[in-house]
Amino acid sequence: MTDESSPHRRDPIKSSVGNAAAERRRQNAVSVGKERRESLMRAKRFCRVGVSTAIDDNDDSPDHDMVIDEEESILEAQASSAVEELKAAVAFQGKGAVQKKISALQKLRRLLSRSEFPPVEVALKAGAIPLLVQCLSFGSLDEQLLEAAWCLTNIAAGKPDETRALLPALPLLIAHIGEKSSLPVAEQCAWALGNVAGEGEDLRNILLSQGALLPLARMMLPIKGSTVRTAAWALSNLIKGPDQKAATELIKINGVLKAIIQHLKNADDELATEVAWVIVYLSALSNMATIMLVKNNVVQLLVERLASSNSLQLLIPVLRSLGNLVAGDSCTTYDLLVPGHEITDSVITVLVKCLKSEHRVLKKEAAWVLSNIAAGSVEHKQLIFSSEALPLLLHLLSSAPFDIRKEVAYTLGNICVEPVEGDGRPKLIVEHLVSLVNHGCLSGFIELIRSIDAEAARLGLQFMELVLRGMPNGEGPKLVEQEDGIDAMERFQFHENDDLRNMANGLVDKYFGEDYGLEESSS
Amino acid sequence: MEWNQETVQFLSHCFLNTLSPSPAPRRQAESSLASASEQPNYALVVLRLVAEPSVDEQIRMAAALNFKNHLRLWWTRSSTDPSVPTDSRIQGPEKEQIKSLIVPLMLSSATRIQNQLSEALAVISKHDFPKSWPQLLPDLVSSLQKASAASDYVSVIGILSTANSIFKKFRYQYKTNDLLLDLKYCLDNFASPLLEIFLKTAQLIDYTSGPVGTAETLRPLFESQRLCCRIFYSLNFIDLPEFFEDHMREWMTEFQKYLTTCYPSLEKSGTNGLIIVDELRAAVCENINLYVEKNEEEFQGYLHTFATAVWSLLGDVSQSSSRDRLAITAIKFLTTVSTSVHHTLFAGDGVILQICQSIVIPNVRLREEDEELFEMNYVEFIRRDMEGSDLDTRRRIACELFKGIATNYKAHVTAILSVQIQNLLSSFTANPAANWKDKDCAIYLVVSLATKRTAGGSVSASTDLIDVNSFFATVIVSELQNQNVSEFPMLKAGALKFFTMFRSHIPKDVALGLVPDVVRLLTSESNVVHSYAASCIEKLFLVKDEGGKARYTSKDIDPVLLMLMNNLFTALRYSESEENQYVMKCIMRVLAVADLSQGVVAPSIAGLTSVLNEVCKNPKNPVFNHYLFESISVLVRRACERDASLISTFEATLFPTLQTILSNDVTEFFPYAFQLLAQLVDLNRSPIPASYMPIFEILLSADLWNRSSNVPALVRLLQAFLQKAPHELNREGRLSLVLGIFNRLIASPSTEEQGFYVLNTVIENLEYSVIANYMSHIWHALFTRLHKKQTVKFVKSLLIFMSLFLVKHGSENLVISMNAVQTGIFVMILEQIWIPNLKLITGTIEVKLTAVASTRLLCECPDILDVAAARHWGKMLDSLVTLLSQPEEDRVEGEPEVPDIAENVAYTAAFVSLQNAGKKEEDPLKDVRDAKEFLVASLTRISALYPGRFPQIISEALDAANQSALFQFCNTYKCVLV
Repeated sequence: MTDESSPHRRDPIKSSVGNAAAERRRQNAVSVGKERRESLMRAKRFCRVGVSTAIDDNDDSPDHDMVIDEEESILEAQASSAVEELKAAVAFQGKGAVQKKISALQKLRRLLSRSEFPPVEVALKAGAIPLLVQCLSFGSLDEQLLEAAWCLTNIAAGKPDETRALLPALPLLIAHIGEKSSLPVAEQCAWALGNVAGEGEDLRNILLSQGALLPLARMMLPIKGSTVRTAAWALSNLIKGPDQKAATELIKINGVLKAIIQHLKNADDELATEVAWVIVYLSALSNMATIMLVKNNVVQLLVERLASSNSLQLLIPVLRSLGNLVAGDSCTTYDLLVPGHEITDSVITVLVKCLKSEHRVLKKEAAWVLSNIAAGSVEHKQLIFSSEALPLLLHLLSSAPFDIRKEVAYTLGNICVEPVEGDGRPKLIVEHLVSLVNHGCLSGFIELIRSIDAEAARLGLQFMELVLRGMPNGEGPKLVEQEDGIDAMERFQFHENDDLRNMANGLVDKYFGEDYGLEESSS
Repeated sequence: MEWNQETVQFLSHCFLNTLSPSPAPRRQAESSLASASEQPNYALVVLRLVAEPSVDEQIRMAAALNFKNHLRLWWTRSSTDPSVPTDSRIQGPEKEQIKSLIVPLMLSSATRIQNQLSEALAVISKHDFPKSWPQLLPDLVSSLQKASAASDYVSVIGILSTANSIFKKFRYQYKTNDLLLDLKYCLDNFASPLLEIFLKTAQLIDYTSGPVGTAETLRPLFESQRLCCRIFYSLNFIDLPEFFEDHMREWMTEFQKYLTTCYPSLEKSGTNGLIIVDELRAAVCENINLYVEKNEEEFQGYLHTFATAVWSLLGDVSQSSSRDRLAITAIKFLTTVSTSVHHTLFAGDGVILQICQSIVIPNVRLREEDEELFEMNYVEFIRRDMEGSDLDTRRRIACELFKGIATNYKAHVTAILSVQIQNLLSSFTANPAANWKDKDCAIYLVVSLATKRTAGGSVSASTDLIDVNSFFATVIVSELQNQNVSEFPMLKAGALKFFTMFRSHIPKDVALGLVPDVVRLLTSESNVVHSYAASCIEKLFLVKDEGGKARYTSKDIDPVLLMLMNNLFTALRYSESEENQYVMKCIMRVLAVADLSQGVVAPSIAGLTSVLNEVCKNPKNPVFNHYLFESISVLVRRACERDASLISTFEATLFPTLQTILSNDVTEFFPYAFQLLAQLVDLNRSPIPASYMPIFEILLSADLWNRSSNVPALVRLLQAFLQKAPHELNREGRLSLVLGIFNRLIASPSTEEQGFYVLNTVIENLEYSVIANYMSHIWHALFTRLHKKQTVKFVKSLLIFMSLFLVKHGSENLVISMNAVQTGIFVMILEQIWIPNLKLITGTIEVKLTAVASTRLLCECPDILDVAAARHWGKMLDSLVTLLSQPEEDRVEGEPEVPDIAENVAYTAAFVSLQNAGKKEEDPLKDVRDAKEFLVASLTRISALYPGRFPQIISEALDAANQSALFQFCNTYKCVLV
C-alpha cells in the first residue's frame, strides 16, 4: 500500500498458522509511497493570492498574463535583477528606504507567485534568503513582513533543497506567528512554516525544537477566517512524525482539543478537512491523544461528518481518523462501539456508505476500519457478520483491486475467529466460517495465496488453515482441493520467506501429506 | 596474521595447492588454510592477496573464493549450536577495513574475481547494510556516476549487480517498519541514480542499435539494462515508491520499447545475442507483472499497450523452441491480467480462442528440448512433468494462463478447450505416426488443467473438461495395451501419468484389468516409462475407498506378483535406472502389501541384497537408498511375522553386507545398518546367536558415537541388545563402557537426549544389584552437567530418568543413591528441579511416568512425608495437579530449545529413521492405567493413615484452581481425602 503515512497497526494475524485474525492493526509508520496522493498538493502549497487584502495589489493586473507566458530565461533574468534590486534597497539608508524595500519585495514576490515554474533557483543563487531574513527583522512594517514571508512561502514550496534554504529564516518566521503579530503576517508566516514542515522529518524536528508548535496551535484557537485553516494545515504537517512526541504535546496544549471539537462540529468542509488531517496524525501517533479524542465524543462527530458530507477531500481524513481511533485503543471498540448502541450502528452505516463509494481509497479505508472492529469481541464479529457490510465485503473480495481485497480479507478473517488473550491459539467461530465459505470466499483467499505479496499470501494461508481445521465433518481439505488450493500452496515449496514456506509446507504435510500407508496396508 | 612476504608466499602456495588434481597436497593445503583462518586478520590478508597484481591470477581467484566462503562462515556467528563458540573470528576493526577496501577492489577486478567479491559483499551487506555500513550506498552511487560518465560498462555492471544482490531482500521479507526504513534509505539514495543510468544506457542503445552498432558494444548495454530492471523490481516490490510513480512514464516508455523493438545486430549475432535481449525483455515482463498485480490503478494507462505488446511478442516467442524464460514471464503477465480487475481485455469476441491457438497450444506442444530431456535426463523430466516442479516450464505456465482466464470465463474456456482437445485427438487418429504429439498435447492439457485433490492420503486429480472414464477408455487404454513397449514412449508415459492421476476415478475392475499391461510396461527400456509404470502401481496401492479402506489388497496382485517383482528387478538393470527411486519405492510398497510366500521372499531378499551390495560401493541417491533399506526391513518384518524361522536366512544373507558396510566405513549407511541390526536382534529369541557378539563389540567402540547422525540408531541397537541380552552387558567390563558412552553423550547439549536414552535403557533392563555400584558415578555425571549448563531439555530428561529409576528400583534406592553423592542433595534436587519443572513434561507416556513417580514420592518417601517437609509435600502436589489437570499447551510455554540432532547436522549424513525397522515406544508402567486415578487412590490410602493432616496442607499449598481440580479428580474416582 502506498498511501499511508500514519502508523496504523498492521500486525495482524500471528505469524504461525493457527493463530488467525485477531488483532487490530495500525498501518505502517514508515511509508515509501507517494504521500496521500488522494489529496492533491497537501504537503506543500504554493501561494498565488495573498492571505489578506492588506496588500495593495492593484498594480498587479497588467503583468498578470504576461508573466505566465514569458520565456523561462526572461523570467530568470528578471528574478535575478529583482534580487539585485532588493539588495540595493536593503543597503539603502536614505529617505524612502522602507518603501523602496517594499516595492523591491513586491517585484520579487510577483515573480515567485505567477509562473507555473517560478524562478526559485535563480533567486536563491542570487542570494535572496539573507535579504529576506533581513526584511523579517523585528519592528518592520506589516506590509514588508508580509511580502517577505510570501516570497519565502513560495520558495519553500519548491524542490527539497529549495525548502531547506529557508533554514536561516525559521527563527524569525516562528517569531512572527506569535500573538503580537497581525493576523495576516502570522498566517503568511505559518504558511511558509507549513511548507517547511511538509518537507521532511529533520526539518520538522528543527521547527519543533525552535518552538513552532505552541504559537501554531494557538492560531487554531480563535475563529478568524483563513488563519485557522492555514494553521491547522501547517500543524498537520508539523506533527506527522514518525516521532509521536509532537502529537502528544499538541493535544496537551490548553484549548486545542476544544478547538478541534468545535471546528469539527461547526466548520465548513474546507476547514473541517484540515482539522481532520490534524486528527489523523494525533490519532495515528499518540495514544494519549487517541484516548482524549475518544473520551470527548470525537467518534460521534466523525461519524456525523461521514454521514453528511460527500466531499472526498473531507471524507478521506475523517474516515482515516475514525479508523485510527478504532485501531488505536481497545477501549474504543469495547466501551464505545458497544453492539446495540446507536453510535455503533451509525459507524457501520457510514462504513457501508464508504464501501459502496466509487472511490477506491474510501473503500479500502472502510474495509480497514471494519477489519479493526472485526478484531473486537465476538459480539462485534456478529454485528458485522449480520450487517449490510457482509455481502459488500464478499463481493469486493472477488472483484476489487488487490489492495482493497487484502483489507477485506483481514476483515473476513477476523470475523471467523474469537478474540485471543495472550499468545493462545484463537478459537474458531464455526458458524461464521461456514457461512463465509458457503458464500464462496475461499477462492478469494486462495487467490491471495497466489499473489506475490508476502502479507497477502500469509493471510490467505491463515484463512486456509481455518478452513482445513474448522469446517465441520472434515470437509475442509475437500473444499481446499476443489479450489485448487493444493496447487496454490505448492508454490511455496521453495519460497525464500521461511515463514510462508513452513506454513504452506506444514499445511500440505498435515492435511494432504502422502502417508506412508504401511501400517494400514500391511494387515 | 600480518601482511608480509612470508605470508604472501605461504598463502599463495596453499591456494595453488587447493587447485591440485591430486588429493594429498590438496588436503594438506586445505587444512593449513583452515588453521590459518583462525588467526585474526586472516580475511583481510586474503583480501589483500586478491588485490595483489603480482600474484598469479588463478591463485587470486582461489583466494577470492576462499575469502567469500570465510566471510559466509564467520562474518556473524549467530549459531544455534552451543558447542560452536559464538564469538566471531572477524573482529570489528578488521571488518571496517574489509568494508572500506572491498568496493573499489571489486570494481577494479577482472570479471571472475569480481563475481566472487560481489558475492562476498552481499554476505557482508546481508548483516551490516544499511545501518552498520552507511558508506556503502554513497560509495556505490559515486562509483556508478563515475563509471557512467566514463561509459565504463564493466564497472557499471559490477556496481549494478552488487546493488541488485543487496536489494533482493525487499522481494520476500514481510513489510515491517524496519524494512520500510531500510527501503526508504535505499530509495532516497539510489532511485534517482538508477533512473539516470537507465535512461543514459537507453539512449546509447537507441544510438548504437542502428546499422553502426555491433553486437559487442550492445551486449554490456543490455546487461546493464537488465540489472536496472531487476533493481527496479526489488525497489518496487513492497510498495510503489513516490519516485517511481513520479517517473513512471520514463520507465514505461523504455520498457515498452524493449518489448516491441527488434535489435538485429545483437539478436542475429549467434544464439547468445538473442538470449541477452530476451533476458532484458523477461525482466521487463516481471516488472509490469508486478505493477499490474499491485499497482493496477497507477498502471492502468499503460496496461493496454503492454498487453498488446506482450501478446504479439508471444506470437513470435511461442513458435520458437528456445526462449523459454521470456515465454514464461510473458505468459505470467497475461495470466495476472486475466485475474485482475482488467480481465475484460479477454472478453472480446474470439480472444480466448486466439489465445488458445496462438499461445497455449503452441507452448504446451512437445518440443525438441522436451524429447531430449525425456531421453537424456529422465529424472529431471519426471521432476517437471509429474512432481510439480514445472512451475517454471512453458507447458505448465501456458496451462496457468488458461486457468487464470477461467476464473472469470469458465464456461467459455471449457467449451473452447473441449473442442481443441477433440481436434487434437482427431488429428492424431488421422495419422498417428505423424501427429502423435497432438495426442500428447491433449493428454497434457487434461492432466494439467485438472484440479489436484487428495484421495486416500495421496494427491490425485479431477476435471470437468472431459469425462474421465470415457477419455480413459477411448484415449488412454489403447496406449497401455499397445504390445510394443518401445513404440511412442512419450505417449505411453502420458497415458501412465493419466492413469496415476485419475486412479481414484477408474473403477476397480477396469484398473485391475490393466495391471498386467502396466506390469509389462515395467520392461520398457525408456526410463520414464518404467518409472511411471512403477509409480502407477505404487500409487494404486494408496487408493482408499470411502471409509479409508485400501481399495487394492494382496489378493488383487497375487496373480501377477511374481511377474511384477521380476519386472521391477529387471527395470533396475536398465542403464540409468540402477538407482531408480520410483522402482524401489514400488518394491517397498509391494512388499508391504503382498502376500509374502516363500516363492516371493527368496528372490526378493536375494535381489535386494545384491542391489545393496552394489550401492555400498558408492552411495549416490539417498532417496533410492532409503527406500532400499525400507524394502529390506519391511520384507524382514513381514516375512518373519509369517514364519519366524526365516530370521536365520535373513541373518545369513544380510550379515556379510552389513559387515562390509561397517568395515569399509560406508558411513552414509551406518544409521540404516544399525537399525536393521536392531530389528534383527528384536526378532530373535534370547539368547541371541553368538554371531551378534562381534557387533556388540563394535557398538561399544567410542568412535562410532562421535558422529551425531549415528547416535539415534546406535541407541536403538543398544536398547535391543540390552533387552535381549542383559547379561552379556555384565561381562568383561562392558557396562562401564556403556556408561562411558553415556558420559560422553550427556556432556553436549546436542546429544544429551541420546545420553539419556542409553541411561534409561540400562536402568530399565538391568537389576539394581548390577547397577548399584555404578550409581554414584552416574549421579555425579548428571549433577556435574546440571551444574555446568542447566537447559530445560536437560532438566526434563533428568526428571524422566529419576522417575524411571523410581518406578523400576524404588524410591528408597533413589534417595539413598543420590544422597550418597552428597548429603541432602535429594531434597535439594526435589525442591529446585523436580517440583518447579514437573509441569513442563510433555508426551503421554512421559507425563504418566513422572506423575506416577511423583505420586509415589508423595505417598511412600519418608523424607517428604516427614511433618517438617510439609511445605515440599504441598508444593509437589500442587505441581503434580497442574501437570495432570492442565492441557499441555497451557502448561508449556514455547521455550528456546536446542534444535534436535536431525536439524543441526547439516554437514554429515542426517539420521533417517526407518519406519519398518522402528519399534513402538514401550510404556514402562503398563499396570497403571490412569495417572489421575493412581494419584487419588494413593492419596486416599495415605490420608487414611494420617487423618486430618493432608486436607490442611492442600488448602494452604495448592492454588485455588488446582484445589478444585484435585477435588474433581476425587469426585471422578469416588475417593475422599480425610
